Amino acid sequence: MSVDLEKILRPVDTPMKPYEPKYMMLASGEAAVVRQVDRDEIPDLLRHVEPLLHVERDYYDVVAARVYSELLAHYRHRYQDQYVLAVQIDGELAAIVNGRQVTPDLGMSLHTLALRRGLRVGAHAFAAKMEYHIDTLGHDEVLIVAESPIGFRRWMIEYRLEKRFDTPHELGGVPSWALTRELFDAARATLVVGRRPVPADLLDKAMDAILPPSDPPTPPLDPLAATRSMYDPTGTSLMAQRWEMEGRSADA
Amino acid sequence: MDRNIYAYVCRRCGASHYPFRMVCKECKQNDFFEFDTVPLPRTGSLVTWTRVHNLPAQYEVATLGIGIVELENGMRMLGQLEIDEPEIGMAVVGEVDVVRREPYDSYYGMVFRAA
Amino acid sequence: MRDVYVAGIGITTFTRLEYPLVEIASYASMMALRDAGVTEVDQVYVANMGSPRVNHQTALASAVVDSLSLMPAGAAAIENGPASGAAAIKAGFQAVASGMDDVVLVAGAERMREVNNLEATDFVATLTHPLAEYIYGVTLPAHAAMFTRLYMERYGVTERHLAMVSVKNQNAALANEWAHLQQPITIEGILDSPEAMTNNPYVAEPLRFFDACPVSDGGAALVLVSEEKARELGRPLVRISGIGQATDTHAVFERDEPTDLLAVRKAANDAFAMAGITPQDVDVAELHDAFTILEIVESEEVGFFPRGEGHLALEKGETALGGTIPINVGGGLKGRGHPVGATGVAQAWEIVTQLRGDGGTRQVEGARVGFTCNFGGFGNNVVCCTFVRES
Repeated sequence: MSVDLEKILRPVDTPMKPYEPKYMMLASGEAAVVRQVDRDEIPDLLRHVEPLLHVERDYYDVVAARVYSELLAHYRHRYQDQYVLAVQIDGELAAIVNGRQVTPDLGMSLHTLALRRGLRVGAHAFAAKMEYHIDTLGHDEVLIVAESPIGFRRWMIEYRLEKRFDTPHELGGVPSWALTRELFDAARATLVVGRRPVPADLLDKAMDAILPPSDPPTPPLDPLAATRSMYDPTGTSLMAQRWEMEGRSADA
Repeated sequence: MDRNIYAYVCRRCGASHYPFRMVCKECKQNDFFEFDTVPLPRTGSLVTWTRVHNLPAQYEVATLGIGIVELENGMRMLGQLEIDEPEIGMAVVGEVDVVRREPYDSYYGMVFRAA
Repeated sequence: MRDVYVAGIGITTFTRLEYPLVEIASYASMMALRDAGVTEVDQVYVANMGSPRVNHQTALASAVVDSLSLMPAGAAAIENGPASGAAAIKAGFQAVASGMDDVVLVAGAERMREVNNLEATDFVATLTHPLAEYIYGVTLPAHAAMFTRLYMERYGVTERHLAMVSVKNQNAALANEWAHLQQPITIEGILDSPEAMTNNPYVAEPLRFFDACPVSDGGAALVLVSEEKARELGRPLVRISGIGQATDTHAVFERDEPTDLLAVRKAANDAFAMAGITPQDVDVAELHDAFTILEIVESEEVGFFPRGEGHLALEKGETALGGTIPINVGGGLKGRGHPVGATGVAQAWEIVTQLRGDGGTRQVEGARVGFTCNFGGFGNNVVCCTFVRES
């Protein structure tokens, strides 16, 4: 008799009500669609997350690495009760947000990854995620942490999150912050936008394919430049290392 | 302890200054420190105001009210506002309180409330 | 006094630059030196506001001279807040005009993105009065916001006018390959759509996110030379015809009329008087639009439009490319970006580009006279320059 190990290892996902797609106009005048991403589409997202692993600024590397592992684990059935929402502009991937349900009353926000910058796409995506937890799934509160200063300013201070410091967050075990239903209701007017239903042509375009982001964050041109200026103002030792990496000798 | 913020009155021409300067703006008197200190009045009217949403790193609040107040003696000063719905021209009254905290220091300044 | 010409110009992309500050300043300088065709200079001025605080580096000019191997040229850094750039141009002008130097390199550079946004905001706020303003948490957007509120009340300027400046300048930056913002915006997206107020949240009421310039890194440089040297080098003859500088009280609230920017008025008047021209002679202008309101107010204070009518001229398109006085056709601070110490030099870079006829799709046809206004502090230290193309 063989033991079906997969049956033991694979978490059983709790049925979760789907997120109703919405759209909003961005500062550029473009329409952005926020919709839930099926498990089958995860590989389409991963291709665009992978390059961000190498963007060593604004914690893109840390966030991208974690998002990659969360999405991959979700795809391969190793993460329980995770959901993924995507923001698309004309089909192009602009942001990814994910989270999970801990209990029917409690949500755990995982990540917000913006691939298009300067249009507050990340803020819209985060708001949609909170909307999913509170309005669709009916959670009483969502536990949140920030990995970057941008995230901290945006979520902790804009939403005036409450401290839940006795609860370690699943991301890194650090103290949690919480968005409660009351806080979300208070933020609704200024921070949460979107129109429903999404016109058929917009939604079709979004569902049709997840197109590559047009202007994603890229790594610094000179991978050592940032480090060089911060820790080695003379630059000489690191410059020599870089030349070696490029196959040039320092005295060439 | 009763804290005050002071105006500096020129001993030669009587012009009042706030904030402190070394040479009188009116008569250019440049004897060293020839100013008398007089506490600034606490009441006045709001000249203009803002609610700042993007604060420097030291502040852990969402927004901060800041305004310029014309005091009852005609001098103006800037202060923090603890007023829900500020309006230009409204009467305000100030109190000296902590307006900024740094790791090892507290800075005192005027905080205005609706009169 | 000798005439002073701009023989070379250089600039870096304005964006987040992950290079040491010295390299940023040197890159722009190299471009300017190559453009002018000189390898030796008598004097170097480097405009910068924050290197000791933000980049932990002092004596920037000495480092730049070394990086460019310009020894034994004289060198000094010039820190004058956001007006450092034009203050350095003034110093370079004086050096050449006096006859002391024949070739002066003026560079401006800033690397503000080395720290995060919150620290950058605090760094810029340190230019306010330490005891009467800074301790209260005043930021530059806060000053601009209080000013805007009064201006709206007095002259009927609305959020729509501010948004129009924002859209004009950010979209103008698309024609400038060196500009920071390469993202078009629309009035609908930042003002009219149901999502607009979330897309464009308050920074300091009534100013919103798209009313403020971005925080940028970048550098710009000019090579200033005597007339004799200019003719020898054979580059297009662009002369600095006037410079005016004026100051005002440090604490903004001390000014008699809170909606006046007297330092802008006086600096512009002095520059025009020195050049022997009037504001109406200007073909293309760079105004210091760190906040959208400033472009409107400065367009009045420098004399392009009567007091209180700047926003009306904006409505009519007079300040856009093709208008009677095109302002900030390269994006201004709003679109090009605002590396504080570099901005004054970058404004001159744009004007010289225009007067040389090298503006490409943003060229103001037949531009012969240019004007820059570099606004330091909150209007307490302002430098204006006029430029003229000679045939």
